[in-house]
Amino acid sequence: MASVSIRIAAANGDGVESSGALLGRVAALNGMEVFGNRGYQSVIRGGHVWNQVRIGDEKLYSYGDSIDILVALNQDGIKNQRSHLSKNAIVIYDPGKCNADELKGAQYTLISIPLLDIALAAGGDPIMRNIVAIGAILKIVGIPLEVFEGVVNKMFSKKGDEVVKSNIKAATDGYNYDGVRKIYDIMGDGKPRYLLEGNTALSLGAYAAGCKYYAAYPMTPASSIMQWFAAHANKGVLFKQTEDEIAAINSTIGAATAGVRAMCGTSGGGFSLMVEALGLSGMIEAPIVVVESQRTGPSTGLPTKTEQADLLFVMHASQGEFPRIVVAPRSVEEAFYLAADAFNLADRYQCPVIILMDLFISEHFETVSNFDVDSIKIDRGKVADPAKASGRFKRYALTEDGISPRSTPGTKGMSFIAPSDEHNEYGDIVSDVLAGIDEHVEMRVKMHEKRMRKIETMLKNERIFVPNIENEGAKHFLVTFGSTTAAAKEAVAALNKKGLSVGLISFNYLLPLDSKKTKAMLLNKHLIDIECNYTAQLAKVIMMETGIEIPDRILKYDGETITTAEIVERASSMIR
Amino acid sequence: MPQNYANGVKPIFCPGCGDFGVYAALTKAFQDLNIDKDNLLVVTGIGCSSSIVQAFGCYGIHSLHGRLLPVAMGAKLANHDLTVVGVGGDGDGYGIGSAHFLHTARRNINITYVVMNNETYGLTTGQASPTGQKGYKTKSTPFGIIENPLNPLAVAIGAGATYVARGFSGDPTHLAELIKNGITHKGFALIDVFSPCVTFNYLNTYDWFRSRIYKMAPNDHDVGNKSEALKRAVEDEETNFDKLPLGLFYRTDKPTYEELDITLKDGPLIKQPMQSRERIIEMLDENR
Repeated sequence: MASVSIRIAAANGDGVESSGALLGRVAALNGMEVFGNRGYQSVIRGGHVWNQVRIGDEKLYSYGDSIDILVALNQDGIKNQRSHLSKNAIVIYDPGKCNADELKGAQYTLISIPLLDIALAAGGDPIMRNIVAIGAILKIVGIPLEVFEGVVNKMFSKKGDEVVKSNIKAATDGYNYDGVRKIYDIMGDGKPRYLLEGNTALSLGAYAAGCKYYAAYPMTPASSIMQWFAAHANKGVLFKQTEDEIAAINSTIGAATAGVRAMCGTSGGGFSLMVEALGLSGMIEAPIVVVESQRTGPSTGLPTKTEQADLLFVMHASQGEFPRIVVAPRSVEEAFYLAADAFNLADRYQCPVIILMDLFISEHFETVSNFDVDSIKIDRGKVADPAKASGRFKRYALTEDGISPRSTPGTKGMSFIAPSDEHNEYGDIVSDVLAGIDEHVEMRVKMHEKRMRKIETMLKNERIFVPNIENEGAKHFLVTFGSTTAAAKEAVAALNKKGLSVGLISFNYLLPLDSKKTKAMLLNKHLIDIECNYTAQLAKVIMMETGIEIPDRILKYDGETITTAEIVERASSMIR
Repeated sequence: MPQNYANGVKPIFCPGCGDFGVYAALTKAFQDLNIDKDNLLVVTGIGCSSSIVQAFGCYGIHSLHGRLLPVAMGAKLANHDLTVVGVGGDGDGYGIGSAHFLHTARRNINITYVVMNNETYGLTTGQASPTGQKGYKTKSTPFGIIENPLNPLAVAIGAGATYVARGFSGDPTHLAELIKNGITHKGFALIDVFSPCVTFNYLNTYDWFRSRIYKMAPNDHDVGNKSEALKRAVEDEETNFDKLPLGLFYRTDKPTYEELDITLKDGPLIKQPMQSRERIIEMLDENR
């Protein structure tokens, strides 16, 4: 497999993000695999930002451990990225903006291009410095200019012919600049790939599942879900920006109770505000989907950095006990399918389903070859038959599997009250004047058991609540969940290449967990736990569910996701 | 024969509670308008007043403390063919739920919001409420309230509600008219109701209200004029709570949220078809 990691570094407002997206799009259209990530800060202008695009000829699982090609648009770009350069890195810089003196003497290939001058000559907009650099990169990695032209025509056509022309001119001048030559030889297969971020894939999965209502309050890194729904509001999905996350989730519960598939999303801080209503959804058995995209905590923490430290929080948030489902997509592609599945699970078990994302999976972009739209089937769960309406409708009928057929407002003869108080089968509350009276105490017990029984039903009817295992015959196993699975997967390949026998156990459906099957899978294996948090929360869950302790842990909490190289290095020392 | 809006469950109100009058007025409003009870959704919060939903034989959501308006909004946006009526208390709506009160009003969603304002926290046995009178001694303010009471009418008018009225639970017939007009009004309607708590509020009693309230005559002020409406709305404070006007303070016609929302141009969400395969493919292809 051949791959190259390209990083563009500059200040916020220099167009780094869109350049990375553009470069990725060109490679994806050329039939290459792409995995990209970005580093940014909670500022709108200034600061130091970077966007890294890794291009390869096989499926990629990380954005690369070091920089093979660096484009530095300012001095910070050289100073801050120097430590990440690979041994033979190529550094493209603008001599008018910075110097590369501190890089001289090493094995780097330094290419000085007057990016700004060329951009100004091509069309006049300084932001097109990026495009000149992209032109040079295309030459270096062997992507024909025509592919770039095709993408620019598509992406910029709304901005007018002039913009398209000047961009093509800028890229051509970079491509043909003296001293720029083909160095890498990465071949695309000619089949265009989808290129998207986790949040976009999640939004698309929800859309494909018939989600019609999304409510949110802006919060990084969940905001791009909001923007997706807002941009597609004329395509049958209503987006409601609310005054806070409390209103977001409560309105989602209202919409779900009224019968539409509904979702809300936020990060940990906003989820903290949603916690009380999460319990409401559990109590009135409203099928909602909640996205929690984690960032570095506690409190405001590092708003633009990633972490996996909310796992135990989402599993236990809200007072009392009620069934809930927690899923954590392991890739951009899986975010699509899990989002779609979340709606079926919510409807089938009439409970909240939490999609646990994190900044890394929400915001990094990846190529996906195909989305199997036809595999998405819509299952609305048990719906009461209005033809059978007689007398008062028992919305919370005590059933064997714990699931009571539901009706929605507007259905004739099937009205009911959905109360946050404990209630009987009709939804009449047994809390206030009736609390403590024998027959109502009995009802409380029956109703609580009815709700909780849904967990047993989930475990009985679904086969998803077990971890996934790869290289089953291996001696050692990396254990992880959600977004860190990708790097772990790449690390497994690297460790095996080193002659070590290593497999992977990854969790995507985390709650409920089939403890028996999970225990059987984990038992008598050397396990190495990998998580982006301090307290090894997944290991705690495993301990709680199976009694198996995992003393070997690779934990990271500096705000960046764990890389393949870090896993390989630390896991190697744990394998004795 | 009018539809029966009761389900046989009795409200938990204390004997003599003002909220009985509100229950009667709501029932009368539903009957007079002959609202299809299968198409009626009553959403409440938490508190004595919010337990009112338990006695209605229509669809209902007895939600969380202070959160009835977002829940009602979500339901209305999901199916705007429903008649959605929010009912709660002053602590619920003007205290813990005050942010939602402001923002639901400014959205002008077609929801009718009836607040039983007894100026106390009843179900938690008598603490100070956001509308409690200055100086009034409660369990949580044994030395007297030192904060100024919130003026829900002025706040609602300022926030963008398009129908603002006040009634008295001791006059359910008059109150029923205000509620009826609120329901038929297109847009966010607030009906604040003086509804005495006979157990915990020893100050704002039936007699206290009766000696101060008066009904505004139809042409007393231009109800379509915001400044005039606000002037009437602050009469409470300006008369040191000696004169408390009842009736319609403000009413204006503005497009509702549902009328303006781009997604709802194709009809109620619940009645719109699921996404077609072609559309899903089209969305996916934006990323290729």
